[in-house]
Amino acid sequence: MSFTTKSIQHTITEIKQVIDPIGAELNELDGRLGDGDLGVTMINGFANMGRITDDMPEDVGQALFAAAKAMTAVSGSSFGTLMATALMAAGKSVKGRDAVEWSEIPKLLQLAQDAMISRGGASLGDKTVLDSLEAVIKATTGMSDPESMQKAASIAAKEALAEFIDKPNKIGRARVYADKSIGLEDPGMVAMCRLIDAIPAK
Amino acid sequence: MYMLSVVLRGVCCIELRHFRIKSVLYLGGFGHIPVFAGYIGDGFLDACAVGDVFASPDMNPMLESIKFADSGQGVLCIVANYGGDRMNFDMACEMAEMDDIEAIKVIVADDVASASKEEAKKRRGVAGFVYVSKVAGAAAAKGYSLSDVADVAQKASDNCRSIGVALSSCTVPQAGKPTFEIANDEIEIGMGIHGEPGVGRSKITSVDDVVDEMLSHLLEDRPAQAGDRMAILVNGLGGTPIEELYLILRRAKSELEKIGVKLEHIRVGNYATSMEMAGASITLMQLDDELKTLLTADAVCPFWEN
Repeated sequence: MSFTTKSIQHTITEIKQVIDPIGAELNELDGRLGDGDLGVTMINGFANMGRITDDMPEDVGQALFAAAKAMTAVSGSSFGTLMATALMAAGKSVKGRDAVEWSEIPKLLQLAQDAMISRGGASLGDKTVLDSLEAVIKATTGMSDPESMQKAASIAAKEALAEFIDKPNKIGRARVYADKSIGLEDPGMVAMCRLIDAIPAK
Repeated sequence: MYMLSVVLRGVCCIELRHFRIKSVLYLGGFGHIPVFAGYIGDGFLDACAVGDVFASPDMNPMLESIKFADSGQGVLCIVANYGGDRMNFDMACEMAEMDDIEAIKVIVADDVASASKEEAKKRRGVAGFVYVSKVAGAAAAKGYSLSDVADVAQKASDNCRSIGVALSSCTVPQAGKPTFEIANDEIEIGMGIHGEPGVGRSKITSVDDVVDEMLSHLLEDRPAQAGDRMAILVNGLGGTPIEELYLILRRAKSELEKIGVKLEHIRVGNYATSMEMAGASITLMQLDDELKTLLTADAVCPFWEN
C-alpha cells in the first residue's frame, strides 16, 4: 500500500478529532515564550483542512496544495505559514501522481524542511520544529513500512524535544527570552510530537 | 473607512476581461485608499488582492486574483517591499505554477528614508507603486509581452525615489490606539506609510524648509542634472489638505527647476494614503520617452484619469 490522497484525508480527519486538547496544551506552552497562538493555529488549521478533505483531488500533489490553502486561509501566524510552506514543497514534488511510496516520504520531508528554512530563515539547532523534522527524517530514511515509520518518528521527535530542552531558542519571539527558554520545551517541537502520535497507525 | 476595509477584504476586481491583453495586478494590505482598489480600470490594474488594514492578505485572495486576472498569457504582480506581502506572494506564485499560470513579480522599494543606498533592496515600498502600476498597466494595454511589461515596470521602479513626512499618527482599527506619538508642533521626516520610524524628528518649520530637506534626501540618493526629465507626485497621507500639498509642489518645482530638471508630469493629491495621518510624500521618477508615454497614456479608473 502506498501514500495516497486517502492517506492525507484520513490523517487530517483523525488529527482533527484530537486537536482540541493538543491545541490547549500548545497555547499554554507558546504563551510562555511567544504570542500564545500556536494552539489556535493548529485547531483552526485542522478544522479548516477537515472541511475540504472530501473535495481533495486524487493527485497527491494537488491534495497537499489544497491542504496548504486551507491552512493559510485561517492562519496568518508564522507557524501556519510554515506548515503551508512545507505542504506545498512536498506537494510540488509529487504533482500529477496518484500514489507515492512510503519510502519516498523522508525525501518529501526533506524538501519540506528545506523550504521552511528558506522561507522562515531559521537554521538547524535554533530549537525549532526544524530540529524535530531533522530527527524524524534521519530516523525514517530507508524505511518503507508506515507503521514502523510512525513508531520511529515518534521516538525521534521525543528524543529531539528532550535533547533541546536545555538549549536556548535562537529565533523568533522566543529568541528575545533566550535565557528564559532554557529548560522549557519548544512549543513547535511539542506540536511535532503530538501530531505524529495523533496520526492513525494505518 | 472601516466599512470599506471590510467590504473590500478578499479579492477585489472588476470585469474587464474583454479589454485585457496582459494582466497586471497589485497585492498588498489595505488602509492606503485609493491604493489599489481605486486604480482598477482600463489601462491601469486588472485586479488587486487586499488584506486587512496595514496587513498583507493571505495567499488565497492573492491566488484568486492571479487566476482571475490571467488571460492565458500570465500575470504581472506588483508587490510593495514588505516581508508579509512578499512571503505570501511567493506562496501564491507557487500555487499558480501548479495551475500552469505564470506570475511574475516586480518589487517596489522606493522609500529612501527606510534604508541606505547600499541596502536599497531593503527599502519599503511607498507611493512609487502608483507610478509603477500605471506604467505597467499602460504597457499591458499597449500589448507588450509579459516579460516586456515586467521589464518596463522594473525600470519604473528603479527610477522612483520617495520620501514622506508625518505630522500626526493614524489609528489602525485592530490596534485601537494611535500607531505612534508625536507632539502637535513636531514633524517626522522619513516616516513610513504605516507609521514606521523615519530619519529624524524636529520642531515644525516652514513648508519650504521641510521640502528642501525632503529633496536633499531624494537628490543625495539619486543626483539630478540639468536636462533630467522627471515626474513628480506630491502625495497626501490622508489628513493634509490639498492646498498644503500645492505649497509643497511650489517649492519642489522651483528647486528642481533651479537645477535644470524638466518636470514633465505633475500630480498632486491623495494617491497613497495612510488612513487619517497628516503628512505628505514626494515621489520623483526619472523619465525617458517610453516611461513618459506609458505614464501619460489613457487610463480610466476612479482615481486617475489622463
